[in-house]
Amino acid sequence: MVEKPFSPHDPNNKVNGTTAFIEDIAFPNQLVGGIKRSPHPHAKIISIDTSKAKEVQGVVTVLTADDLPTYPFGPTKFKDWNFLASDRVLFIGDEVAAVSGETKECVQQALELITIEYEILPAVYHPQEALSSTTILHQSANNNRPMHLQIERGDFENAKKQADVVRKGTYVINPIYQGHLEPIAAIAKWSKNDGMTLWAGSHIPYRARETYAAAFGLDEDQFRIIVPPIGGSFGSKYVLKMHLLVSALSKASSRPVKIVFDRKEDMITAHPRVPLNMEVEIGSTNEGTFVYKDVVVYADAGARIYWSPNIVATACTRPDGVYHFGSVRAEGHLCYTNNSPTTCMRGFGNAEMLFGVESVIDDLAEALAMDPTELRKRNIVKKGQTTIHGYQLDSCQLEQCIEKVKELSGWARRGHLPENHGIGIALGNHVSGFSAIDPRFDGSTAIVTLKPNGNITVQTGEIDLGQGLSQTYANIAASVLGIPSEMIEIQSGDTALHPFGVGTLASRGTVMGGNAVQFAAEEMKQQILKLVHEEWNGIGVFEAGEILIDGKRLSFADVADLYRTKRPGEVMVIKKTYTPNTELPDKTYYGHPSPNYPFAAHVAEVKVDTETGRVQVVGYWAVHDSGKILNFTGAKSQVIGAVAQGIGWVLMEELIVRNGQVLNPSLMDYRMPGAGDMPQIDVAFIEEPDPHGPQGAKSVGEIALDPVPGAIANAIANAIKKRGYSLPLNPQAIWGLIREQDDTNRRELS
Amino acid sequence: MKHADTTSFFLNDLEVHWFGNPVRPLVDLIRNEYELKGTKIGCETGECGACTVLVDGKPMVSCLVPTAAVHRSSVTTVEGLITKKNFIALRQAMVQHGAVQCGFCTPGIMMTLYAYMQNYEILNGNLDFALKNNLCRCTGYLGIKSALQQVLVEKEGSHSHG
Repeated sequence: MVEKPFSPHDPNNKVNGTTAFIEDIAFPNQLVGGIKRSPHPHAKIISIDTSKAKEVQGVVTVLTADDLPTYPFGPTKFKDWNFLASDRVLFIGDEVAAVSGETKECVQQALELITIEYEILPAVYHPQEALSSTTILHQSANNNRPMHLQIERGDFENAKKQADVVRKGTYVINPIYQGHLEPIAAIAKWSKNDGMTLWAGSHIPYRARETYAAAFGLDEDQFRIIVPPIGGSFGSKYVLKMHLLVSALSKASSRPVKIVFDRKEDMITAHPRVPLNMEVEIGSTNEGTFVYKDVVVYADAGARIYWSPNIVATACTRPDGVYHFGSVRAEGHLCYTNNSPTTCMRGFGNAEMLFGVESVIDDLAEALAMDPTELRKRNIVKKGQTTIHGYQLDSCQLEQCIEKVKELSGWARRGHLPENHGIGIALGNHVSGFSAIDPRFDGSTAIVTLKPNGNITVQTGEIDLGQGLSQTYANIAASVLGIPSEMIEIQSGDTALHPFGVGTLASRGTVMGGNAVQFAAEEMKQQILKLVHEEWNGIGVFEAGEILIDGKRLSFADVADLYRTKRPGEVMVIKKTYTPNTELPDKTYYGHPSPNYPFAAHVAEVKVDTETGRVQVVGYWAVHDSGKILNFTGAKSQVIGAVAQGIGWVLMEELIVRNGQVLNPSLMDYRMPGAGDMPQIDVAFIEEPDPHGPQGAKSVGEIALDPVPGAIANAIANAIKKRGYSLPLNPQAIWGLIREQDDTNRRELS
Repeated sequence: MKHADTTSFFLNDLEVHWFGNPVRPLVDLIRNEYELKGTKIGCETGECGACTVLVDGKPMVSCLVPTAAVHRSSVTTVEGLITKKNFIALRQAMVQHGAVQCGFCTPGIMMTLYAYMQNYEILNGNLDFALKNNLCRCTGYLGIKSALQQVLVEKEGSHSHG
């Protein structure tokens, strides 16, 4: 076997520290960039004086809005972005000016010497207040509501009358930080001949390219994005204003410019998980059949639209793919506020709403005196069914997941646990790609090349985030071609070199990109058989990494030689595109948006210290239906990592924002889980192959987080007989809950 | 020592002399003067552990260490460990246990694990305690702990078999 070229995604190289992240890359003549930000949540800009900043020795460029294009643009259909604020700033951290210079110190000094005169304007911070406020952020939304979603399916009013028991609550998702260990960073390099090249950690680089090219008024092929390994994103690094500003600074000086955020700037401007206020109501018959679900969601978009509309739509619909609720109604209000724009984080609205739904279902089980797992099993979706919003379930092992997680966790212990211990269950579902991300195309393309040395390269437009995507694709191609995965090199992350890809979001990597790799590898196999047939007129057989024909054993290198002989000078290159059989959801959000749907059942066990309010997760069991598992090590690590993130989200983390100001922008004051916060976690997969996944696979990345908040919240309620409605359920919240006397609004559990 | 104001120390077993600012953070020196980029910067305030190096065998966050503080000490970065037997065994176990995802925290975590392997008593023999200064947002730590435990068991085994 021939030695493979260096791959920065190879985990061995990550361990050795030889994988270069953006901060480890430098170009000759490179400048440092910095951004001047608004200290006010809402203010009119009276004047900007950059004269002193420009005089600082070493400063090369100082940009304000006057120096930059003003085409309307944005990553979604809401084109409310700008390069820099011209007349008003809309949040603390809003970008007003950008500076490049020879050193970090001179840039810092110049940023401080930019004088901006503001006239303070009234600000609005809460979605419900924004709806009726006279403070308007964008003229395009005169009630601060860029999106108002209303869905009703079935005879809702009649369904409500069928309910014998109703439980409801208002559940609150506070802002949290994605917590990527690598701070946000980018390098841009402009030249008149080559246009812009941007090194950035975007895992949707083609959408980023389209957005940024539009902002500059450039053709897409004049804007190249190279994605070095990404040091964690979880949704924070899709598209960012800083990518544009570093590009603008490079264009102004025709020199490479690098910006690396420090942790504080990163936490103030990285854009947290969309905060939601969710009114959730579910009705059931006395027999435990759900008859309706009604939700009203108020979502805080912050001052500009990143991906919040998609998150609202997901929150309002996705959990209806776990249970048959009978009739459903949902109303979503997405509101502009003077907070930093909010965006996606793993779970994407579904994990958030499932926190509310799974809590209410446990309340219903209590009211009906049923075991929570029994009530769930009576209402879950099953294989072969179509859900109320049109998801076609050609595989579903949710019931088996419930049975398995009960067995593993020792669910029968519920009711016999030591004092202040509790155990809780929650279910979840997700998609494996989502057609509405890009209505033009939601599939994926792979290019497979047989190299002269017999090794294979696979090029994809999807991005390795460290989730194991490269290994999964290598495993797929290896199993098709019957060779070790070590012979396969995965290449991605350069919009100029690799095929178009929608990107790594909506848990689409395994199924979308994997199918394309599978198709291309299968086609290569056919082409190899055709080639050897031409030469020897027999039928070749793939065996142990070789092709047997006419009494000969050919290696892949022999085949590459033969190809070069028969197709003079050529290399075998196969390009294949996977176009899924999905439907774009219609205006009412009805459709079949994903090739398949993963499911999971999680159980958490907690111990509550009633003196301090501290909750300790003492056991965790996660059983998943992600179809066939193609990369077991990667899949298991995804699940454990997601549970860790969920433990942080539910018990510890809150980006505390008061009057638009982040009060805890440091990892000291924003504590994320450490090794000592982790319980033992048992992970199991029920591996029913799905007909649409590559080799039967479905997604893993986000489904792994979706049930976690519900499972832990239900375990806490089981332990202390009180329910928490607002995340995080930190010691302060739990201490208060335990001591809450007047529980008029929040029904005490028996 | 060549000069009263010079900081001299061993960096991956090579003696180096630093004539510049004695309070420059060690991580800055390691990355930008000696071009050792395996030591990562995650927070610059000592909370994430991505910049962990060994100072006389003990893991320390190099963003909080002024260069003068390592005068006459021995500093080891990940580059100095790559060929060590224990490091290689740990690396293989880390990969096998899914303990590496994005990889940004990984070199720092390796420094802590390696120090623990060499002399767990300086870390109280408690791995959770040892890892308290290393954040990992991707893997949930369990693979990291399993990897170390496997290597420790193998090491014990090889000792008992002579």
